[in-house]
Amino acid sequence: MPGRIIKWIDQRFPLTSFVKHELTDYPTPRNLSYWWNFGFLAGVVLMLQVVTGIFLAMHYRADISLSFDSIQHIMREVNYGWLLRYMHATGASAFFFVIFVHMARTLYYGSYRAPRELLWWTGQGLLLLLMATAFMGYLLPWGQMSYWGATVITNLFQATPFFGDQIVIWLRGDYTVGDATLTRFFALHYLFPFIIIGAVVIHLVALHTVKSSNPSGIDLAAKDNIPFHPYFTIKDLYGLGWFLIVYSVFVFFLPDSLIEPANNIPANPMQTPNHIVPEWYFLPFYAILRSVPNLVGGVVAMGLSVMMFAFMPFLDRSRIPGGAHYRPIFKIQFYLFLLDMLVLGYVGYTPPTNQTLLIGQIATLCYFGSFLLIPFISRIEERWLVRRGLPPAVIALMESEALTIEQRRLKHRRRGEQA
Amino acid sequence: MNALVKVLVLCCFSIGAWANEVPLEKVNVATDAVTISRGAEDLMNDCHSCHTLKYIRYRDLVAFGIDKQKVDAWRGDQAMDSPLLGQFSDADAMQSFGIVPPDLSLMVKARDGGSSYVYSYLLAYHNSPDGVLENPVYPATKMPDALGIASATDAAQRTEIQGRARDIVSFLTWAADPHDAERKRLGYYVLGYLIVLTTLLYFVKNQIWGRLK
Ligand code: HEC
Ligand code: HEM
Repeated sequence: MPGRIIKWIDQRFPLTSFVKHELTDYPTPRNLSYWWNFGFLAGVVLMLQVVTGIFLAMHYRADISLSFDSIQHIMREVNYGWLLRYMHATGASAFFFVIFVHMARTLYYGSYRAPRELLWWTGQGLLLLLMATAFMGYLLPWGQMSYWGATVITNLFQATPFFGDQIVIWLRGDYTVGDATLTRFFALHYLFPFIIIGAVVIHLVALHTVKSSNPSGIDLAAKDNIPFHPYFTIKDLYGLGWFLIVYSVFVFFLPDSLIEPANNIPANPMQTPNHIVPEWYFLPFYAILRSVPNLVGGVVAMGLSVMMFAFMPFLDRSRIPGGAHYRPIFKIQFYLFLLDMLVLGYVGYTPPTNQTLLIGQIATLCYFGSFLLIPFISRIEERWLVRRGLPPAVIALMESEALTIEQRRLKHRRRGEQA
Repeated sequence: MNALVKVLVLCCFSIGAWANEVPLEKVNVATDAVTISRGAEDLMNDCHSCHTLKYIRYRDLVAFGIDKQKVDAWRGDQAMDSPLLGQFSDADAMQSFGIVPPDLSLMVKARDGGSSYVYSYLLAYHNSPDGVLENPVYPATKMPDALGIASATDAAQRTEIQGRARDIVSFLTWAADPHDAERKRLGYYVLGYLIVLTTLLYFVKNQIWGRLK
């Protein structure tokens, strides 16, 4: 009977062939390391956030006189409301952690290079959507940090030329962050995750067109690809087990470590907290904002710092495959970049002093420097590596790639002559 | 990429190093019902006259296991479902202190240092050499020395007050998160389950990948 139903469907809709092509038989490089688990984990966290979020929304009140109390109602009176809220608040951090690792993996292995540029850019779009969603969600509990964080960040739009003030009022729906801001942030916080789901579908369509990269950086022959199921379904599930263990340690034993104490004080527009800090995942970007003494400059620098990742396919023109794997200088640069992110995070967290300001400014220069120097470094590095002698497999790949580039150029030229 | 993990772990450790400027006295809060009940009683005597606990209702105290007769005495003619509101109106409080005393239900979660902050704050009162009441933990505070630690000179009396402060802080810690104990209990089951599950998945994974060789 089930067989007949499936047959009936298959005559009208490509169900079996889709599942076969995109899931069970989807060819996947057999040498993927555990760093390739994080994309799947991001999908799981997205689902966790949507499910816990929808249940929270059943008890949450988007009204400045009720929001803070409604969170306490959820924490104290709703059945397992504390679990929902802690899962959701911890889930936001888990989401960023997983996404940052996922991005670091891509940077390390150079997986943003041809033919995966579009895949990388859809990922960049997802990062922006995630940041917007988390920022708006953080206003909802209506604590001191919620209020002042939203005030500081919406204020940044004053830097817009000509319409600065109007844009700020338009975003807030009022002259200050208030009821109008809260209700619109709630509406959008509910909406954005579903836009994210749509963007994830696009991300996956792009992935399935160009297929996964792999640690060797060399496109593997068909014999080295294995079907996704059962090999990667089980590997992803095993990784998920580890993820859930760490996540549960935070949800059940350290839930408040990720909630700023000041956010347990109801928002008070009359009293600025002595130290406004964003959530940990925004700290490096916040540090860059504060490092530039001028508002417009700071906002531009912060916006650029998030968008720099999108330029990677243009900046890194090295033809050495495998990212940092075969590229010692790029590898050093990668680790220095991570270190710089940590320094920026520290600077973003501490109250500004002359000393941290200076450290922040140096770290900001290093941040942009580590992107803008890539074209020069990668060219020098490539020349040096070629002179030193590459592993034969890499040479073979580079030659085939050079050939395709040459062929592409020829094609262009021919087309040019015809026109 | 293993180096990355090591760097991250190192940084996580160093973040704990710079927390608070005033050194706080660490308190080990109790989670047993006896201490928490005692803390509730002390709080009703020493703090409730000025402070509210609006997220705690009298019914919650009974449900936790505090003697119903005591709770009945505290609530007087208020309903079982009414929250622990203060006896001062906000206007009266403004008149007396120049500030409305903050609600205490979430206090332990609302300050850096948590329970240790509240404990240290209560016990930090002392008289300066020229007889002025001081509190180094919160120098500008408008709260009087509620437990009378500044005027207690006798060692036994000081110990008694410290014990009372600890009981009160234990109660406040419960009040800030009444599901804390339940959460941790459930957490052990969840972790146990996940560890078994992950171990099994590990073996299944090895078995499936073993077919490749
Ligand atoms: C006579 C009235 C009064 C009594 C009794 C009283 N308090 Fe207070 N309390 C205040 C006032 C007023 C403030 C506000 C202080 C300020 O912010 O300047 C305050 C503030 C506090 C704070 C917050 C400090 C901060 O960091 O902002 C805590 C914690 C606190 N009280 C705990 C207690 C405890 C526990 C008791 C019982 C042992 C107690 N209080 C008894 C009046 C009182
Ligand atoms: C992309 C996924 C999501 C992220 C990253 C995210 C992030 C956040 C954050 C950071 C908070 C503040 C948590 C706190 O400090 O208490 C929050 C709160 C909230 N979110 Fe989400 N969220 C997501 C999806 C959703 C969805 C899909 C819904 C509803 C359909 C939702 C509903 C809520 C509600 C009602 C709150 C207020 C309750 C609370 O603060 O705990 N969220 N979210």
